[in-house]
Amino acid sequence: MAAKTSVKPLLAGVLTFLILEAVALMLMANDSIVQKIRIEGAVAYLGEKLYNFRSGITYYFSLREINDQLSKENTRLLNQLSYYRTLTENRDSAFVHRDDSSGRAEKGENSDFYYIPAKIVGMSTNRLHNYLIINKGSKDGIKEDMGVISSEGVAGVIRSVSDNYAYVISLLNVSQAVSAKIVSSGAYGPLTWDGRSAQTAILSEIPQHIPVMTGDTVATSGLSTIFPPDIPLGRIRKSKIVMGSHHQIEVRLFQDFRTLHFVNVVVNRNKEELDKLTQEYEK
Amino acid sequence: MKSRSEIFLIIAVFILLQALLSNFINFGPLFFIALYPLLILTFPAKIPLYERLLMSFLLGIGVDLTGGFILGLNAAAATFLSFVQPLLLKMAVPHAGLDKSSRPGLSELGLTRFLYFIIAGLMIHQAVVEILENFSMIFSFQSLLRYFLSIFVNTLIILLSEYGIFYKNRG
Repeated sequence: MAAKTSVKPLLAGVLTFLILEAVALMLMANDSIVQKIRIEGAVAYLGEKLYNFRSGITYYFSLREINDQLSKENTRLLNQLSYYRTLTENRDSAFVHRDDSSGRAEKGENSDFYYIPAKIVGMSTNRLHNYLIINKGSKDGIKEDMGVISSEGVAGVIRSVSDNYAYVISLLNVSQAVSAKIVSSGAYGPLTWDGRSAQTAILSEIPQHIPVMTGDTVATSGLSTIFPPDIPLGRIRKSKIVMGSHHQIEVRLFQDFRTLHFVNVVVNRNKEELDKLTQEYEK
Repeated sequence: MKSRSEIFLIIAVFILLQALLSNFINFGPLFFIALYPLLILTFPAKIPLYERLLMSFLLGIGVDLTGGFILGLNAAAATFLSFVQPLLLKMAVPHAGLDKSSRPGLSELGLTRFLYFIIAGLMIHQAVVEILENFSMIFSFQSLLRYFLSIFVNTLIILLSEYGIFYKNRG
């Protein structure tokens, strides 16, 4: 009660003060042209500051929605890209082998790869065996050994799946390898993480006669069933020849795992068929 | 505590005195003589804040109209001074030793505290006047000279007025 009685007169006082000051400023603006210009300038300046402040706050609170929209848009574009890439490849193939008139391109079927957007809900970056956990699971069509990519490169491969979540072995895991190629030459080999820096990985088994230039782009080779080809991974930082036979190349990764929030799970429609075929011949 | 009609009479007297000072003792841009802050600073705490603000605003408007100032300049400065007066009084009398109905004058505060109180009030008042006149926080040498000269002169005038009008006639 005591608080109420002391707050009310104070509020009335503050309100009166603001009103009287505003009236005084208006009187000044009406009485002097110089003051009018200055007051209008000050009001415009304050208005701009207030608008910027309000815009900043509104923008901040809409970031979550914007991120979700961008993630969905990214997935949509990836799916579209994959569709057209497959379409082009199949058309070229149909041109050479005209008897393949019942091919998928002519039938207008979907692409080889499609993508499922996901959000990272847990991750580690400071261990030798790092992982990610994403908010999509078997209910969303996620299965083991599916690839996980981001807009900046490869994030990892799914190891296990629950109904709503999936455990991903990060690229930053010493037991993980991704089939990669040097874009300029097409030479390929495994890209692995050596556990030293979260920003670099090692591309090995590139034959010595292949020219390697610092700054060349390294991308996925497309020779595995997990990742589609040509996903940029990083740039060549330096290389050395090991055992006198092949290059060992240090690649600076495009992906900064500490800023990774949204990913796409890669679904290869032909994976089971390809794996089955490989397993048959390996027997 | 004096009745409202008496306070309004005192306000009118202060407007008249300020008009005389402004119109007959004119030092141009060298300094700005202001006597009316004395009345605002010595409003008893018992008068509600919004009433003190309204009275200060009227006092300021009266000074602006009679002294040839930009209309609203002294009204804004007087209202601001009235708004910060309770805070200044708290700083001058930290242990709430002053009765709310008492006028915080020279006899009640003592010379040292009254002087601190007046100088702090005049510094704020003069700063508001300078800022509103120039609409800038950057003061030139002339502005600073005027600022400090005005505070010095007004402190003397207010001290003498307080002593002559209120201190000697108390009781």
